Amino acid sequence: MIRNEIAIQTKDLTRKFGEYTAVNQINLSIRYGEIFGFLGANGAGKSTTIRLLCGILAPTGGTATVGGYDINTDSEKIKSSIGYVSQKFSLYTDLTVLENLEFYGHIYNISEKGWKNRLNEVLALSGLEPWKNHIAAELSGGWKQRLAIANATLHKPKILFLDEPTAGVDPVSRRSLWELLYELANQGTTLFATTHYMEEAERCHQIAFISQGKILAIGKPADLKANIKGKIIEIECQPLMKASQAFQKLPGVTGLTAYGTSLHLNVDNDEAIRPLIAEAARNESISITSLKTVPASLEDVFATLSEKSA
Amino acid sequence: MKNIKAIAIKEFIHITRDRRTLMMIILMPLMQLMIYGYGINTDVKHMKTVIYDEDRTSMSRRLVQSLEQSGYFDIRRHASSAGELYEAIDRGKAKAGLLIPPDFMKDALSGRSANLQMLIDGTDSNPANTALNTSQAIVSHFMQSEGLVPPQMSPVDFRPRLWYNPDLKTTFFMIPGLVGLVLQLIIPMIAATAIVREKERGNIEQILVSPIKPHEFILGKIIPYICIGMLIASTIIACAHFLFGIPIRGNLFTLFTLTLVFLTVCLGIGIFASTVASSQQQASQIIMFFAMPSILLSGFIFPRETMPAVIYQIGHIIPLTYFVKIIRGIVLKGLGFADLWDQIIPLFVLGVVILAFSITRFHKRLE
Repeated sequence: MIRNEIAIQTKDLTRKFGEYTAVNQINLSIRYGEIFGFLGANGAGKSTTIRLLCGILAPTGGTATVGGYDINTDSEKIKSSIGYVSQKFSLYTDLTVLENLEFYGHIYNISEKGWKNRLNEVLALSGLEPWKNHIAAELSGGWKQRLAIANATLHKPKILFLDEPTAGVDPVSRRSLWELLYELANQGTTLFATTHYMEEAERCHQIAFISQGKILAIGKPADLKANIKGKIIEIECQPLMKASQAFQKLPGVTGLTAYGTSLHLNVDNDEAIRPLIAEAARNESISITSLKTVPASLEDVFATLSEKSA
Repeated sequence: MKNIKAIAIKEFIHITRDRRTLMMIILMPLMQLMIYGYGINTDVKHMKTVIYDEDRTSMSRRLVQSLEQSGYFDIRRHASSAGELYEAIDRGKAKAGLLIPPDFMKDALSGRSANLQMLIDGTDSNPANTALNTSQAIVSHFMQSEGLVPPQMSPVDFRPRLWYNPDLKTTFFMIPGLVGLVLQLIIPMIAATAIVREKERGNIEQILVSPIKPHEFILGKIIPYICIGMLIASTIIACAHFLFGIPIRGNLFTLFTLTLVFLTVCLGIGIFASTVASSQQQASQIIMFFAMPSILLSGFIFPRETMPAVIYQIGHIIPLTYFVKIIRGIVLKGLGFADLWDQIIPLFVLGVVILAFSITRFHKRLE
């Protein structure tokens, strides 16, 4: 449940690598129990932000507190109070599930007395019980991520950072992974997750779009969608490549995204543009099977934002 | 402390699951023991020898017998012509050949100068030299025992004695030094690959965000390798004594304390390699780059005294140089701390420098 206390707060958080600014004056405010989705393309600055907040990379400007600790002065305290799930599986593939958990149990200083209980809780929650004596290398992608999450939550961190937790996981496992994450959020854990998948972002309490180190938009998914200017037209047509090039040039088109076999056009006026689309389709011999105005999705929000910043 | 223990335990599990490391730890010392204990033998006894005896008298037979009894010459064949003897040496079937001419006994007894020819294969200077010296000594002794020359009275009674290794056995020289060689070959390699593996597989990412401190990580990682190193050293020392009959004249405590110092140096080299390399393969290449000159220039195989001045000086910055002297001193001569200071101090200094340098580098790499 979301509480009012602040879990993560950043003020003009900046990190430069030489001339290159990876994270540029980021301001975030995340409350306890919140699921925060951090969206952006590869290299936009998501992982750098996480590394800054985890206390393993020092900022070159600005400040941030994580769990009440300053990242500049209290990074050691931050390390013992957060959990971290990396993009690439970073536990030991030659150790069993249990050996991995025992190792990090010691590292996070879980008492001998409480250990058995905590281990069973984590195994039950993650569903890893039947796998506990297997070598981690034998687990599938989804189960590996479950192990990583179980491992990162052993010490009951109030804040859990997840860097692309579902990358490379099949869709079914992805959904069940998110159920596990929801369960954690329900128990009061703050989740800070980066993702590529928009349907995952839809389920977050708050999301932020980052591009070239800057936050382009931040807010609740519903608010972001409501704030989108203009209308979204969905066009099912062939061939897609040619169509997207032709429609992008039309006046009044502010954004364009490919969605499987259809295109999403962000337009100023959905009625006025229709004849223009029809004409362009005739000229370029593009066959349109359907054309309708649809409610905006997060993907559309992202597409318009990226377009603006480019 | 708790973190260090957890890391050390984890490391032991890694070792037991990694067949490659395990093989290296077990087979490498055994292999080296076999090679240096049995294979490489610079003792020049039992040289294959051919005899062409044209005299065929009791005296010529006694001469051949005394050659054989010396242990240096093994009579493999009696040639039926001088040509056959030459051919045996040409083809490498024999290293030495003795030609006893007809009338050897007759000439010798009548006081005429009897001819006796010894042919020695000089391609390998070391055994050739021994063959030359021993054959001369045997023949002159033979002449005295046959009464052909009167026993000589010398104004100087010269009696050379060989200390520490009276039989001049190669194993005495090689096996104690082998402790240093094997540690130098194995320990940096397994320590470096163990650290690099955490980088290569991304494990370090999880470690970095955990409350583990860099010094705990390093200590926890190297403790298992210290144990393994000491175990290997003890095994070789035990083999030296029980298998090769080498007396351990010095104090075992001194021996193991100084082995520990050398082990620390080896770990320093391993940690250094791990900070330079980004893959396990690179790490092993860097280590071989250090190991080869160490083995060749440390005096483990070739005596340093005969090296050119520049090469000799390079030996001073090789830790193995000092350790080889230390361990030979302790095992063969029974030396202690007090006798070995001039070796211990440079080894210690090198160890501190290498370890401090590599740990600082390791810290920097983490940040």
